[in-house]
Amino acid sequence: MRFSIYQSSRQGGRKYNQDRVAYSYSKDALLMVVADGMGGHLHGEVAAQITVQMLAETFQKQARPTLRNPFDFLTGAMVAVHDAIDDYASQHDLLETPRTTCVACVVQNDLAYWAHVGDSRLYLFRGGQLVVRTRDHSRIQQLYEQGQITEAQMSIHPDRNKIYNCLGGLIPPDVELSKITPVVEGDTFLLCSDGLWSMLTVNEIASVVGAYPIDRALPELLDHAEFRGGEEGDNLSVLGMTWGGPPRQAPAQSVSTATMPLDAFTTRLDRFDTAREGDGGVSDEEIEQAIAEIQMAIKKFSK
Amino acid sequence: MQLVEMASQSNQALEPGYQLLNYRIIKQLSGGGFSMVYLAHDESEQPVAIKEYLPNGLALRREGAVVAATSAENQATFRYGLKCFFEEGRALATIAHPNVVRVVNFFRANETVYMVMQYERGKTLQEHIQATKRNVKEGFIRRVFAQLLNGLREVHTRKVLHLDIKPANIYIRLDGSPVLIDFGAARQTLTNEKSKLSPMYTPGFAAPEQYNNRERLGPWTDIYSVGASIFACLAGFAPQAADARVQDDKLVSAKKLWAGRYSEQLLEIIDWCLKLDYMERPQSVFSLQKALMEQVPEPPQKRSIITSIRDTLNKDIF
Repeated sequence: MRFSIYQSSRQGGRKYNQDRVAYSYSKDALLMVVADGMGGHLHGEVAAQITVQMLAETFQKQARPTLRNPFDFLTGAMVAVHDAIDDYASQHDLLETPRTTCVACVVQNDLAYWAHVGDSRLYLFRGGQLVVRTRDHSRIQQLYEQGQITEAQMSIHPDRNKIYNCLGGLIPPDVELSKITPVVEGDTFLLCSDGLWSMLTVNEIASVVGAYPIDRALPELLDHAEFRGGEEGDNLSVLGMTWGGPPRQAPAQSVSTATMPLDAFTTRLDRFDTAREGDGGVSDEEIEQAIAEIQMAIKKFSK
Repeated sequence: MQLVEMASQSNQALEPGYQLLNYRIIKQLSGGGFSMVYLAHDESEQPVAIKEYLPNGLALRREGAVVAATSAENQATFRYGLKCFFEEGRALATIAHPNVVRVVNFFRANETVYMVMQYERGKTLQEHIQATKRNVKEGFIRRVFAQLLNGLREVHTRKVLHLDIKPANIYIRLDGSPVLIDFGAARQTLTNEKSKLSPMYTPGFAAPEQYNNRERLGPWTDIYSVGASIFACLAGFAPQAADARVQDDKLVSAKKLWAGRYSEQLLEIIDWCLKLDYMERPQSVFSLQKALMEQVPEPPQKRSIITSIRDTLNKDIF
């Protein structure tokens, strides 16, 4: 396998970054994941972190070096994540179960398989044109399909944050699977959270992705989206992959798995405590919150 | 506790009489790599132990009460270490068990954080071993460890590993009941270590997987340390450090060392806990506890009349 890959996540104007991105590949299979956590305080972060971590771990267990059935893997792992988030919530006595979106894609044997819940998206571009994108599990996507709003209105609609399908929470997820899609040299996959796509039009994304190698295109997209989001902007995350050999000179993240041993994996996944940018440490609010949590636990457990 | 980095400047403890919120500092009890522990009295004059987050080398208090990071670069690490201190607090706050130290308050002051714990009267198992001059009774060992394992079971149920069990961290109350203290290393299961705050362990009591296979940590890791602690009760010192054992195992089995002096079954338990391969150790506290509580006849003791009289006169209270 040869491909170029790039991932990045930014906090935008929010207090926390509840988005997580990760990829992992063996000699013959590649997994890419984006998760956008929801829920008070740090809990959305936890849900998203559980998601990327479990997907990457399960992938490493099952890709030997390819997955027997990528759709079974995607569905099984996402359902397992849902249960793990609920377990976490009950162990920590959270009033509100954290939830997260998830979009994940597997490429092996020149075929792509993807699955998603919620409104994080996958786009596939070929020759500068959009081939396909996932359909959000959101109220506004329904309105759009019913012809009540235009694509441009989707990103400014008051209900744009309402999704009806996610990992974690009372309702089991309904994992939507893609068609098995042949991948050709030069195809670019883009997985992103709504913080990115809601600030850019498809044409903008397509033209930037078509014009630059992936490691230059994505920072550019993030810059635009972050600027437009402004001080109130959402977290924004993107993971992009261009299939095949690099067209011009090799970008930094160009990967060839030809020399990898059969049982080896390379995984890029931000750890929970390092994912946050900024001072690299703990903010005053987090300190206050941790202390409040501990005091609550002390009260609760002292008879 | 092993000091990860040598402190170039040492920290000043809070002065006796210092009023810390509603607690009055009486004296410093101990000071280690990451914290200082004080004896203090609360407003109703009840004694408490207060642990102050004060990592040597990262933060400094030369005079006064306020703690400051030693450099801007260390400020971030100091804050990160705070997070670890929180993990200890979080882990302990949810455990209310007679054999596990109880946290009663947690607060922020002097630019650092404090954890208030129940103050226990008694002495550490280490002091007890030193005082009894390597003549710790089998009955005492079985009773103390069986009770201690009740606490450890509760800890493991909360998905926390202690990771620094050793005689110095086992407190024996005046009534003889044990309490597991110092969960300063417990955080390691919950967060990832960073270079400046590398994992803490005590050579001799730490399991081999604590040195380099930290993804293998599990209940069996604490169980290794329990075995090493029982070993220390008999030997008066810790067994050979696990990292050295992996290279060249010089540890003589307890069964050989103390044959005839302790029951074969107890000696087998020690050897079982101290297996280098974590898969060969008891896999849960429960299985170890079951073995410890088995009724076995005490080994026949060859006793002269003199020793018998001496034992009666020196009869220890345990």
